[in-house]
Amino acid sequence: MSDAQILDRGYRRFEGSRSGLSGAVRSVAWHTTRSILGLGRKARHKVFPIIVLVVSFVPAIVFMALTVLIGDLLEGDLRPEYWEMFGFSFAATIVFVALVAPEAIVRDRRDGMFALYMSTPLARPSYLLAKVLAVMATMALIVVGPPVLFLIGYTFQSLGPESVLDWISVMGRILLAGLAICTVYTAVSLGVSSLTDRRAFASIAVVFVLLGASISARLLVDQAGFSDTWRILDPINGTLEIAPRLFGDRGDEFGDISTWLVVLGSSAWTAFGAALLVGRYRKLAAV
Amino acid sequence: MQFGSLRALDGLDVGVQSGVTGLVGANGSGKTTFMSIVLGLRPPTAGTVEVLGLDPSRHGSQLRALVGYGPERNVYPDEMPASDFVKHLAEVRGMPRTEARGRASDALWLVGLGEERFRPLGTMSTGQRQRVKLAQALAADPSLVLLDEPTDGLDPVQRDEMLVLIRQISTEYGIDVLLSSHLLEEVERICDHVVALDAGHLVAQGRLDVLIGHDEGVIVELIEIGDRPDALAEVIASVEGRGLEVRGDLGANRIEVLGTDADLIADAVRDAVADAHARVGRIVRRRRRLEDLFEGARR
Repeated sequence: MSDAQILDRGYRRFEGSRSGLSGAVRSVAWHTTRSILGLGRKARHKVFPIIVLVVSFVPAIVFMALTVLIGDLLEGDLRPEYWEMFGFSFAATIVFVALVAPEAIVRDRRDGMFALYMSTPLARPSYLLAKVLAVMATMALIVVGPPVLFLIGYTFQSLGPESVLDWISVMGRILLAGLAICTVYTAVSLGVSSLTDRRAFASIAVVFVLLGASISARLLVDQAGFSDTWRILDPINGTLEIAPRLFGDRGDEFGDISTWLVVLGSSAWTAFGAALLVGRYRKLAAV
Repeated sequence: MQFGSLRALDGLDVGVQSGVTGLVGANGSGKTTFMSIVLGLRPPTAGTVEVLGLDPSRHGSQLRALVGYGPERNVYPDEMPASDFVKHLAEVRGMPRTEARGRASDALWLVGLGEERFRPLGTMSTGQRQRVKLAQALAADPSLVLLDEPTDGLDPVQRDEMLVLIRQISTEYGIDVLLSSHLLEEVERICDHVVALDAGHLVAQGRLDVLIGHDEGVIVELIEIGDRPDALAEVIASVEGRGLEVRGDLGANRIEVLGTDADLIADAVRDAVADAHARVGRIVRRRRRLEDLFEGARR
């Protein structure tokens, strides 16, 4: 065996091209996605995201299994619409929004990464863009994954859309509904999480805002006698209502409310979350 | 630079040359504000700034790709291995993924953490974390490195090693360094240039060897004699009587005689000591130090 050793690895200058701002956004978004999913981290960090993912897919998998086993019997009301899949996985979505999404920004402020990121090509808007992309992409797995799986399952069982164009149309509506739901929940979760440097507090605050507002809206309408229009203040059901509207349907509780008002309610929640987020980070010292 | 009613930097006209430049000043002197302007994170309220030929407030993103930064804060993601941490920041600063991996490893070897590079940051000592901070600032091959209090929390041995490293990255790899510190002694040891700030005002700037190092008199230390308790006071009075400036409040029977005429000072001290029947323990040349720049500005 040779005794040769490398004593000085040296330091090389870099002559290639740099990826610039887009590369920085991509890198932070990917790093955040990995962090949210617990990839490259200890096993205990993977447990929760895996549970949330599994729970979100259970309804779609159950319906697919039923379709395979007793497909002929699943007719009429027993056969769910594509948009109903968003509602079936909503519990997992809320858990993700409250417990996993805050991971995306709270840790950076606590462990000094935010200040370091600000010394790179990133600025506050591009940093937040990277975080939004990471949270939305991860959330899309939970929100869009089940209905897409459901559509694919139906298609293989010859129960899906009849033509290619119909299929693309259904897929497009699923993706659009998923995008809308992810946008609202990402804005609210990041906005509320930006107010505290403690992840546990952020989770509690997100749950409090979402469930609190949802329950309040229901109480206003069902108990205090306010008009149905007030349901648009419900960030959970109001946002989920976008899905049936895209499929030309209406949820039971939102039957009398116009689509524009539904969109307005969701937009207001998105604006609320975005305003909190931007306002907080505008004041945050970078160095 | 104005924050509400507070003027953090005022009337600053600074030119920073190649090499290692020390940005010195007490806490609150404006060092961090200066660095944030250099990084393009804050636009100056008035005036212009140019760093590496770019206007930081207009081309901040482009500029920061060429700048490495080691912040003062010493808290990092505890679970992340040092190599992943350095690689990630190299990627964010624009390195392609495969290149970033290699450069992260090289940078960690350079700062003496080659064997430790896969250790999580949370298991590292303060000294090792400071080195990791330096490594991440270097990994993306910057043209300029900004280091904010890089020796903070280090013991004397670690501090010496860190200062040698900082000097090395400038002299051997041609990377310019702007080092922020409130420790004047370490700036005197490794810097080529200095920018001295006091309460937001420029105290001095320029080459360190021009600003300091000149003979400015002598330091005289007398041996205490039991039956001559007034000897020190008599020496001070005698030297002052010859028109020289004396600083006698230094303790330990020590005085400084200020002046540029070495012969005149030597004669005055000799005669004063003889007249007072005192005994000289030590007499050394007094060289101008960074501290004197600040004291001069405050007078």
